[in-house]
Order: sequence, then C-alpha cells, then structure tokens
Amino acid sequence: MGKISAPRNNREFVEACVKSGDAVRIKQEVDWDNEAGAIVRRVCELGEAAPFMENIKDYPGFSYFGAPLSTYRRMAIALGMDPASTLPQIGAEYLKRTNSEPIAPVVIDKRDAPCKENILLGDDVDLCKLPVPLVHDGDGGRYVGTWHGVITKHPVRGDVNWGMYRQMMWDGRTMSGAVFPFSDLGKTLTDYYLPRGEGCPFATAIGLSPLAAMAACAPSPIPEPELCGMLSGEAVRLVKCETNDLEVPADAEIIIEGMILPDYKVEEGPFGEYTGYRTSPRDFRVTFRVDAITYRNNATMTISNMGVPQDEGQLLRSFSLGLELEKLLKSQGIPVTGVYMHPRSTHHMMIVGVKPTYAGIAMQIAQLAFGSKLGPWFHMVMVVDDQTDIFNWDEVYHAFCTRCNPERGIHVFKNTTGTALYPHATPHDRKYSIGSQVLFDCLWPVDWDKTNDVPTIVSFKNVYPKDIQEKVLNSWADYGFRGAKK
Amino acid sequence: MANKWEVFVMDLAELAEGKELELTIRTLNDGLHKYTYQRAKVEVSSKLDQFADSLQVRLGRGQLSDRKFSIRVIERVERLPAQYR
Repeated sequence: MGKISAPRNNREFVEACVKSGDAVRIKQEVDWDNEAGAIVRRVCELGEAAPFMENIKDYPGFSYFGAPLSTYRRMAIALGMDPASTLPQIGAEYLKRTNSEPIAPVVIDKRDAPCKENILLGDDVDLCKLPVPLVHDGDGGRYVGTWHGVITKHPVRGDVNWGMYRQMMWDGRTMSGAVFPFSDLGKTLTDYYLPRGEGCPFATAIGLSPLAAMAACAPSPIPEPELCGMLSGEAVRLVKCETNDLEVPADAEIIIEGMILPDYKVEEGPFGEYTGYRTSPRDFRVTFRVDAITYRNNATMTISNMGVPQDEGQLLRSFSLGLELEKLLKSQGIPVTGVYMHPRSTHHMMIVGVKPTYAGIAMQIAQLAFGSKLGPWFHMVMVVDDQTDIFNWDEVYHAFCTRCNPERGIHVFKNTTGTALYPHATPHDRKYSIGSQVLFDCLWPVDWDKTNDVPTIVSFKNVYPKDIQEKVLNSWADYGFRGAKK
Repeated sequence: MANKWEVFVMDLAELAEGKELELTIRTLNDGLHKYTYQRAKVEVSSKLDQFADSLQVRLGRGQLSDRKFSIRVIERVERLPAQYR
C-alpha cells in the first residue's frame, strides 16, 4: 500500500477543508446557546461547507468545527484522497485499508501530548468551562459528546472500545448518555461492571482526527485504535489518562476522564437524533461522573447536529455499515457485487447487489445481516441482482417496485433487536430495544426460465442493437437535442 | 434577583399545585451554567406572581408548553451517593 497522506489531527483536517473550499472560517461571535447548532443544522440540510467557528460567546480561546464529515468530499479529504473522489472509489479505499495489516498504536510521553496542555483536576473540574453547545432548541441538555469517542476497556478481556455514545451535560461534574444494551459498552457494563457494582473507567475524546472519529463510528470487529492506524497508514499516538489507566488519542482537542457509575442514574434526553426526529424518550440513563478534564490550547470542540438528512451520523454510519456488511457477506462466500446504504435512509435500508446463483440467496443475506452485530442498526434489507446499479436509486427503486413480489418477496422478521431511536417502533419496543425487520427480495426466482419467464428490461442500453445505439448517440446533436451524448 | 427554571414533564398533571414536589429542574439563567440540572423540593403555582422565580415547561419530546408557572425552590436534594461526591 502506498504512503497515505491523511490529516493526522482535527487541526490539519480543518486546514485541508478550508483550503479545498469544504470549510469556512466564521470570525464573528457565535452563541453556544442554539446559534452554533442552527448553523450546523442548516449546513447539513444544504450540504454546505463545514463551519469553523472561531469566536464563541462566553468562551474566548475555544472554537467549534461543525458537520466535520457530512459530505463525501470531506470524507475523501479525511482519507487523504482527492475531494472529488466518487463514493465507490472512497468505499474501495476503505475496504483496501481495513483489509490490510493492523497497525498498533504507540503510547507517548505526557510531555509530548497536546491534549495535556491544560489539566483540570479536583475542584477545578467543571464541564461548564468547556463551550458545550445547546445543539437543538428543546434538547434535554447541552451535549458534550456529539462527534467524539467514549473510550473504555473490558477489564478481563482487555478489549479497548472507542464508541460514539451521545453524552449530555447534567451538571458540571455529571453527564448522562444513551448506551444500548447490545452495544460494545453496553455489553461490558452488563457483563462485568453492573453485576459487581463497580464503576467503569471512561475517557471521552472530543476533536479527534477525522479517521479516529471514523473508527469510533464504524461497526468493525477490529479494535478502534488499530482500525484508525489502518485507515491513516500510521500508528495512532496515545497517552495515559490522568486519573485512570485508559489511553487516549494524544492529539485530541479535549479529554474528559471519569467513571461510569454502576448504581446511580440521571435523566438524559430528549435529543434530536440521526433519524431526523426526537424519538427516544427522556429517561434515566448511563451516568458518567467526571474526575478530570484536559485540553489543548485553543481547543476546538467538534459538533455533529443530527436531524433530517444529511449529517455525518447518517453519512458515515451508512458508509461503514454497508462496507462492513459487504466484508461479512464476502467472508461467507456469497457472490455480492456491492452493498450500499443511502444516507437519506438514515442508515435504515441496506441495499445488496448479488449474483443470484442459487435459491434462497436473498434470505441468506438477510439472515446474516440481521443476525450480525450490525443488525440492530437497520431494519430493511433490499436485495437486487448484479445488473442493478446499487448506487443508482432510480434503478433500485424500479427493481423494488417491479420485481418484489408482495406475497413471496417480502419477509418480516419479528422479535429482533431494535433501538430506542426507531421512530416507527412502539413506545414499549423502544424502551426494551425490541425490533422487527424486513427483507425485500427483488431477485427473479431461480426456477423461472431465463428465456421465457424472466421479463426483459426495456431500456435504451438493453433492447437496441449496438450499432443502432452508436448511431443514435453519435447523431444526438444532429437530431437537434442538446446535452451529453451518453 | 428572580431565577428562571425549566422542567421536563410527560404530563402537566405532574405539576400539582398547593403541595411540595420533588422535581429535576434546570436553570435558564444566563451564564456558563445555563441548562445545568439539580434535583429540588419545590412548590409551583399557575399564578405567575405567587413566587418570585419563574418556571417554563417542556414536554416529552422537547416541545415548549404554553403553560407558565411561578416556582419556589425550597431546598436542593442531593441524590448522588456520598461515595461519588
């Protein structure tokens, strides 16, 4: 693999985005109370350049970087690619890098770690010293963690987890967050800490390098520090926490250290979510007690504003869920031609292209997809054949509307795992993470005669002889039409 | 100076008048601590001049209620177990 030249930290990423026109510097004062959130929301809805807000009301010296990865252009920049790279090109690069050899992180001395430039301990600890934004009016609180990594470690297995679990500031020393029972952290808590009544050490890293954030967001079986190394082509620099034994990205902008309490919960939510709604109810949720805050000089807080498409939660999660499912299906020998989640499905619909070589292949795909660790995050799988361009919604929609037989093509899976965030779920199902899922099988049955039973697609490229197609294309302007020949 | 508070409820009936309530309220006073919470014993009234402080209400999904109250914070309640303070 050639040398990768990706931004190594959030600051390099901001610079790269400004240089390419994919970020704007906002010098005028921006209020942390709703205004910054409103800017980021509008940026997401318009697909605009990411706002780098350098003057935050009440918080001199701090800045915000909003919507860091809400476009494929910025995702390409994060990977060190040409911003004009296509989605299939970006996906292929992700697959290439994440199928390479893991790159272990390195632990550096505290004196070399930028995130230790300022250290707050004891009575100095107060989350209100950070410019925690009110992201949406009506949210249950100011959200510390919207684009970040919550770092924990399983005390027996030693598995390190960087996960993007939203965190709301309850008071200056307390945060609460949504941690689903099927998530890595949820399993660690229920497997070890909660039965023992022990606190779980955590560290929240904000203002990560874009590839560290990508790793924290990806549902990959590879430990995130290694995954980040594979994506960036070099070892991630880690540094030990001040108050526990966890190691955190040394180049992060802000680190919050503390303990997840085993026997105490405070309210969290509601919050504007990636589905485009406030769905999950306000409830008593996992509670984080803060023991230390460290941060860089002139620290930048990253903000993701989730809501209607499209934000980075939808874009990046769709991207990584699709590619991780593709890896899973290929590992089982299934002849998939590609997997794609449109971000506008708010990562709820998985579109799988496959060569339909045997009966039941769509069902096998759905069972693997829903039965995997990825499964709770989406509830629709649509399987189309290898002649359908999975990235072209017009083709996919046409296949769905014409080939999915209402009686034998739609298969509902009941009593599966869901999330509290599903807008279509009942209040009861949201509370207990009960889900239901559906397969849309858009393949022609293998027992249909391919010559006489399978309908022929009637399209320009499919039904006319090549010489006629060429003649028409070459004469297109002569006929009096404008626009591209092809 | 009068303080501004906000509370989230599922049902306005949770804000019974004429008796002591225990609520989780957040401050709306301007400043660095705006929107931070505390648990408190309070009394509320739909008469806006009954108590000096004001109380704004939000419903389950963050919708702002039209109903306004005045509020008296009687005392703060500390729920956090002592070993974590």
